[in-house]
Amino acid sequence: MPKSYIEVLVNDEPREFLVQPGTTLLGALREELGLTAAKRGCGQGTCGTCTCIVDGEAVMSCLVPVETIQGADVRTLEGVARDGGELDEVQAAFLEGFATQCGFCTSGMIMAAQALLAENPDPSREDVVRAISGNVCRCTGYESIINAILDAAQRRRATGGVQYVEGGV
Amino acid sequence: MAIQSEQIDRSYFAEGRDDDFDVIGTPVQRSDALGHVTGRTEFFEDRNPPGLLHLKMARSERHHALLKAVDVAPALAVPGVVKVLTHADVPANWYTILRLIGVEPNDEPVLPEDRVLYKGEPIVAVIATSEQAALQGARAVEVTYEDLPVVLDVEEALADDATAIKPHGTNYFVYEGHHCRRIRFGDVDAAFAEADHVFEWRYQSSPIEHAPTETTGCIVIPQADGRLLIHSDTQACFFTLDNTALILEVPFGKLRVMGGTVGGGFGGKVDVTLEPIACIAAMATNKPVKYVYGREEEMQISSPRAAERIYVKDGVMDDGTIVARKVTLYVDAGAYSRHSPYGTTKAAAHMPGPYNIPNVWVDAHCVYTNRTPSSAMRGFGVTIGDFALESQMDRIARALDMDPLHLRLINAYRDGDMKAHRKVAEGTALIEVIQQAAQLVGHELPAELRTMTVYSPASDGWTFLIKNP
Amino acid sequence: MAPSVEVPESVGEVVGALAGEGSVVLAGGTVVMPEVNTTAHDLRALVSLRRAGLRGIEVDGGRAVIGAATTLAEVGKHERLAVLRPVIESIASPTIRNLATVGGNLFVKQPYGDLAVALLALDAEVDVAGPDGASSTRPVADVLRDGAGEREVVTAVAFDVPDAAAWRYTKAMRRKQNSASIVTVAAVLGLDGGTVGAARIALGGAGAKPVRATAAEQALTGGPLDHDRARAAGEAALQDAEPFDDAYASAWYRGRVLPVHVRRALLGE
Repeated sequence: MPKSYIEVLVNDEPREFLVQPGTTLLGALREELGLTAAKRGCGQGTCGTCTCIVDGEAVMSCLVPVETIQGADVRTLEGVARDGGELDEVQAAFLEGFATQCGFCTSGMIMAAQALLAENPDPSREDVVRAISGNVCRCTGYESIINAILDAAQRRRATGGVQYVEGGV
Repeated sequence: MAIQSEQIDRSYFAEGRDDDFDVIGTPVQRSDALGHVTGRTEFFEDRNPPGLLHLKMARSERHHALLKAVDVAPALAVPGVVKVLTHADVPANWYTILRLIGVEPNDEPVLPEDRVLYKGEPIVAVIATSEQAALQGARAVEVTYEDLPVVLDVEEALADDATAIKPHGTNYFVYEGHHCRRIRFGDVDAAFAEADHVFEWRYQSSPIEHAPTETTGCIVIPQADGRLLIHSDTQACFFTLDNTALILEVPFGKLRVMGGTVGGGFGGKVDVTLEPIACIAAMATNKPVKYVYGREEEMQISSPRAAERIYVKDGVMDDGTIVARKVTLYVDAGAYSRHSPYGTTKAAAHMPGPYNIPNVWVDAHCVYTNRTPSSAMRGFGVTIGDFALESQMDRIARALDMDPLHLRLINAYRDGDMKAHRKVAEGTALIEVIQQAAQLVGHELPAELRTMTVYSPASDGWTFLIKNP
Repeated sequence: MAPSVEVPESVGEVVGALAGEGSVVLAGGTVVMPEVNTTAHDLRALVSLRRAGLRGIEVDGGRAVIGAATTLAEVGKHERLAVLRPVIESIASPTIRNLATVGGNLFVKQPYGDLAVALLALDAEVDVAGPDGASSTRPVADVLRDGAGEREVVTAVAFDVPDAAAWRYTKAMRRKQNSASIVTVAAVLGLDGGTVGAARIALGGAGAKPVRATAAEQALTGGPLDHDRARAAGEAALQDAEPFDDAYASAWYRGRVLPVHVRRALLGE
């Protein structure tokens, strides 16, 4: 079967590429565009490691055939850090708050957090738990992740939404 | 908001402390955390070499059966399938984790020759140009089974009339000629006869799946110099390297393992069950090959923590002193050994728990059944044993109407005590830990229990006959 | 082998695309894509509803009409459907609710399909389009029982929006969020003064399909909504239930807790 031609906006950049029919957004990101931050943990929409933002909404990218989202605005973890690689508030809060261990759930968690904070800059703890309820973490026990997201929200509010944080150890 | 560092309590064990710590007690950033939060950490599946082939297994649908016929022709007919590997393609068809140090017997084939011992056991490997083609090929393989009696219970497996499911003729791992690991310390029967109470209870745990967020897998890439580059999410790169070399019958230098990035291991990624066959596939096709578990395979096929059945019989005096402990323990290794013989040894050595009990008898069996082979997980051999022992302590306390912390304190082991497997206890701290925990939760302890230490000798009233330790 | 993906731009085109062998409706993808991604499947064409004009919510004079491809998240945000928010919030996670559709929820296997249970209690009507311009409106109970034809597609769901005072919903789960149903209870109670004039009670986790608990309804109507009658209704609910075993709960457990959850749901506890 001939490949399908796809045009989407990925992290503010127009991208065009060919895929096998039926390729998911996750597959397209990882295999055509070299954007491997989104992970494949189950292929069934139950683990959340594939979480990306499509047209402003956090979705399981393993469940979305990329052919159904022509022209969509797609955001992945690779687009989160600022110019020069400086971490955004969520990344910095995860880093400084020890909210990542093996790292496999981290991309999905950060993208779920980004979607939450874009809609709700002052979330309650319950709001955070709801936002990450589709993201499984087997390492941290979730508390450090929840705290990091609340911390990130506070940092972002304190600086009016833009904060440049030095990355590194 | 930086993480708060814990204060180290330096009031304990004041003599003999050597704690000029520079790093312990301070928050230290993980070296890979920056990669995690930027999405740049490389997991094995983030590699996408050109020409990548995909390996999926055709798996047994029976718990225990002879393989009368395996027809791979229908799989080869599926568009996209390029090869099917059988046991004949495996140079040295044994996976045993400790082969390298000569621990026998070799009991798990990479691919079975004549029979399957658990539902889900891989039978043949289908290699194809896409995952879907490999899955279709695996589905197409036709297997003719002749069912054999199924053994699913550890005690039934050890009955005299049980079907022996293993080629070495028993349903238990043989420990230097014995049917189990044995601890014999003192005389439990004499102590039971003298005890004020005898309590016996039974404990049962289920297999527990690690459920890592990243499934088990590897990508093997043939190199220009004829070597194989193995990208694996194994927890144990050298297990992978060594066992794969033995199975492939190649010099160790032919293999290059890139790993150390594990999306959750917990003990579930220490067996070498994917890389060897993926290597054989890469060599056979001269192409990169990926073999990764789907989520259902990870949950059902990958090794879990062993289920255990444990009987604990205690002889206890009215004041709570435990004078005898008899433990009969069964580890359900499932169909193959993997790490279970080692785990069962640990289980035996761990008895009777952190308590000074003068008479101890343990039989710890590593039992084979037609279940998914169990293996390592977070303190395997010890963790479930502790569940049984500590449940037992709570039940004894309840039966004697005694504070469960008191019961533990008066039986706690101390430095200098001889443990049942004949090692002298040192560096013990159970008493202090219980005291501190009690204080933290506001649980009052009487004065004499608040002041005891792992250094203070047990008083005569609390020590009983120790016969021939 | 790799299925083609069709993205038709009208209902007629959707129906036309379903004529091919091995073609299926692709709504939110929460059921079809796991199959495509992880199993050896025989699907040849995925017919996406994303651009077929089936999204949208109209609430007019107390009656809601919801396009079948409307996502659960969209229902959860609509100010006139606030009464259904607890139903929506009880289903999966935001990352699923942003994809899963109202129509799709009618076709998922129990113990999923909590919106379907709610729609059963609401006595919803379902518009179905078929070949040659065929179109029909069916009671949701029929669609839940019989499904839809191979070449048919659900286009809309309609129901009267209940007053908050009349609506009952509870979903017992093993976790607080993102967990399938142990038992789900949805009810519309017609309260006339203190008396229950009419009741429609639907159950999830109580059988292979969502169940109308008619025996419970009978036990409840014609009297006050008090503890004794609610308890009796809870017990009666077992008559219409065939609880099953799965990884979330055993049939025994479901049977034990069903009457309790029915009682509590009815009393608003």
